[in-house]
Amino acid sequence: MYRYDAIDRELVADRAAEFRGQVARRLAGELTEDQFKPLRLMNGLYLQLHAYMLRVAIPYGSLDSRQLRRLAHIARTWDQGYGHFTTRQNIQFNWIKLADTPDILDELARVDLHAIQTSGNCIRNVTADPYAGATAEEIDDPRVWSEVIRQWSTLHPEFSYLPRKFKFAVTAAAKDRTAARVHDIGLVLRRARDGSLGFEVIVGGGQGRTPYVGPTIREHLPVDSLLSYLQAILRVYNRHGRRDNIYKARIKILVAALGKDEFARQVEEEWSKIEASQADLPDTELARIRAAFTPLDFQTLPARSDAFEAARTASPALARFARNNVKPHKKAGYAIVEVSLKAPGATPGDASADQMDLVADLAERYSLDDVRVTHEQNLVLPHVKLDDLPTVHAALESAGLATPNINLISDIIACPGLDYCALANARAIPIAQAIARRFEDADRAELIGELKIKISGCINACGHHHVGNIGILGVDKKGEEFYQLSLGGSGQEDASLAQILGPGMSADKVPDAIEALVGAYLAVRQGEERFLDTVRRLGMAPFKEAVYADAH
Amino acid sequence: MKVLTANRLIDGEVVFWQAGAWIERFADARFFADDDAAGPEAVETAKTQPTVIVDPYLIDVVEAPGGFAPVSYRERIRALGPTNEPTHGKQAEGGAGIEALLAATGAARSTGRVDLIRRK
Amino acid sequence: MPTLIKLAEGRFSAAEDVFADVADEDVLPDGPVILSLTRFQADGDALVSAGRPVGVRIQADEAVEDLAYDLPRLAVVALVFPKYRDGRAYSSAALLRQRLGYAGEVRAIGDVLREQAGFMVRCGIDAFAPADGSTPEGWAAAAGRYRHVYQRAVDARPPAFEERG
Repeated sequence: MYRYDAIDRELVADRAAEFRGQVARRLAGELTEDQFKPLRLMNGLYLQLHAYMLRVAIPYGSLDSRQLRRLAHIARTWDQGYGHFTTRQNIQFNWIKLADTPDILDELARVDLHAIQTSGNCIRNVTADPYAGATAEEIDDPRVWSEVIRQWSTLHPEFSYLPRKFKFAVTAAAKDRTAARVHDIGLVLRRARDGSLGFEVIVGGGQGRTPYVGPTIREHLPVDSLLSYLQAILRVYNRHGRRDNIYKARIKILVAALGKDEFARQVEEEWSKIEASQADLPDTELARIRAAFTPLDFQTLPARSDAFEAARTASPALARFARNNVKPHKKAGYAIVEVSLKAPGATPGDASADQMDLVADLAERYSLDDVRVTHEQNLVLPHVKLDDLPTVHAALESAGLATPNINLISDIIACPGLDYCALANARAIPIAQAIARRFEDADRAELIGELKIKISGCINACGHHHVGNIGILGVDKKGEEFYQLSLGGSGQEDASLAQILGPGMSADKVPDAIEALVGAYLAVRQGEERFLDTVRRLGMAPFKEAVYADAH
Repeated sequence: MKVLTANRLIDGEVVFWQAGAWIERFADARFFADDDAAGPEAVETAKTQPTVIVDPYLIDVVEAPGGFAPVSYRERIRALGPTNEPTHGKQAEGGAGIEALLAATGAARSTGRVDLIRRK
Repeated sequence: MPTLIKLAEGRFSAAEDVFADVADEDVLPDGPVILSLTRFQADGDALVSAGRPVGVRIQADEAVEDLAYDLPRLAVVALVFPKYRDGRAYSSAALLRQRLGYAGEVRAIGDVLREQAGFMVRCGIDAFAPADGSTPEGWAAAAGRYRHVYQRAVDARPPAFEERG
């Protein structure tokens, strides 16, 4: 965890006080709704279908137990006892009252949390690898750079009224768990041949109604030039991004319109005029931020735990959990544990206050007080001793949090959809529930293997359907909820956009269609080939045939 | 028929117009005939209450078994609560009005809002 | 005469606006004037040579770099915020101060609201024509809302990393 100092705390407190004043002015009629709306949105407060929704930032998806318990407390006190973890590693509360929000923000500030820049046309919460600091794959800790960006972008005077929202992802591992290539800016830490640390800078990816896999505009940006280079990109975008059409205002449209090379040229030209000493952080501050991440007290352990091995032999459930939800750790004797928020029939990403408290307790006792949120809407206990895995598994199981389905067919991303969201055209959650129930058989799910289904209730694509192995988009077709399937998307290092399979279908037909796609895949897959690989090898034809055969 | 709805400013609660007041139950709302000028007039009145409600608009309702129900899925979900959590929102209260709305799902359509849908 | 809020030596105060904001089709009045970029490029030279205080109005989609050689002779650069959510003028202000070295008055006009005071000041704007009837006191309170800032900008405020020493 990055530890706040007095300055960080006072800034959050000042923000909460400012919003308290703005809410008071709104309730007193001094601000109209049109004037107030952008102000509340800059604090993550939306008016949705049933109530206000408050989106709380979880910087780069990292929490400690104290913070997670406070989120549980807020869910109990001011909401209906649960929260919804999002594809941006944030948490949303669905049943908030406007008049309560100043108190909630004060309560969050007490544990160094806030809702700053969780909405609005500004730089949003940075997505980072949820395995940061735990995976052996990474060449540096992406949280350090994410925190650098968080501070730089917080209340940035020049870049708080951008043409449109702006999202960063930062990863340092070959396996991309952040969807870096479909962010406004994706930063991938790499080491050059000479050993120097740099970023691959990817700009102009995104989803929404015009999806793009972002191009790389710089292969190796020295890490200490990060902020001056970001300033150059943001300045080119702030000045030249479109402001006449909300659907064409994201940076991806500017990059595509100019072409990657011309956009890169403009950025480099702007960058050459920026005085680095005025824009980049001094080494001393980089070192301070790095040091402000609590050093973890790892023990020296054998690579193999006899206790865990015995328990897993005795318990098929634990063995299955270990196969799917436990990932290798950089330290011998430790593991990364994924906590699934995708129990069959559950709302993807929802956690009750009791569940949050339980995960907080487990984090404190067994994971060096560290919890992560993944962009796939699960939680992670990043530093669990192998010896403790049986205990942790049993505790998770008792709370319905041990579904062994990470990256499997029932580990579905879904946006809130028409059940909550004022923008949605169709529901997403019930579709996810129906598919997860259909594929509840864990043996079968494992047999099918990695298969990422992502569901959005409208074209804005919060459910990442463009990068689903199977993407599902809810649309409004002549007054009916209809669902359009697409195949072959990936948000990972091999990013690609899914292609539409064929005509849309009603909600009740979707599980059958998924069944047909899975059947077609199993019939033709070769060796260890994932669903995505098979689609890439064979194209759409066999899958189209499987789903629409009856319609012929 | 039409019903006037909005969200209450202070807590965001879905409310409906009835006899000069904002009430929480769809079943208690005032129903305006499609050609009744009182509907648009009520919208204008509502717009003069910016410290009470946000974004008033008329919705279309249809007759279903058990009573009237909003035409659109969206408005039914607003009148009931989220379909994934049957104990959350207005539906938790139960009763005949809620039962009628739940039973009316078959006639639902996903549009039906008279005004443009935009970010609230 | 319309009133401005001006920032000088850390203090916000009300000031009379002695400049006439002249539209392209208007007959040129006597005294100090603010012109569009186009009109300035046509008529500005003569006016400045005659000793008249002249300012230029820069729209959000116009490049302040086009003024580079004229800046030393300008009394005011007025940056237009067509809507308060249109943030292009912040970049214009920062470029005027940091890159072009302009030391004269940079004025915010258009949809200028007190919620923006802090950002405007940090980008080097030092005169404000508020559209919301804000007072200098209200403006000062909004601009001074935050005890700390994280990043370096045009103003002299030390960022958090300098405060931390």
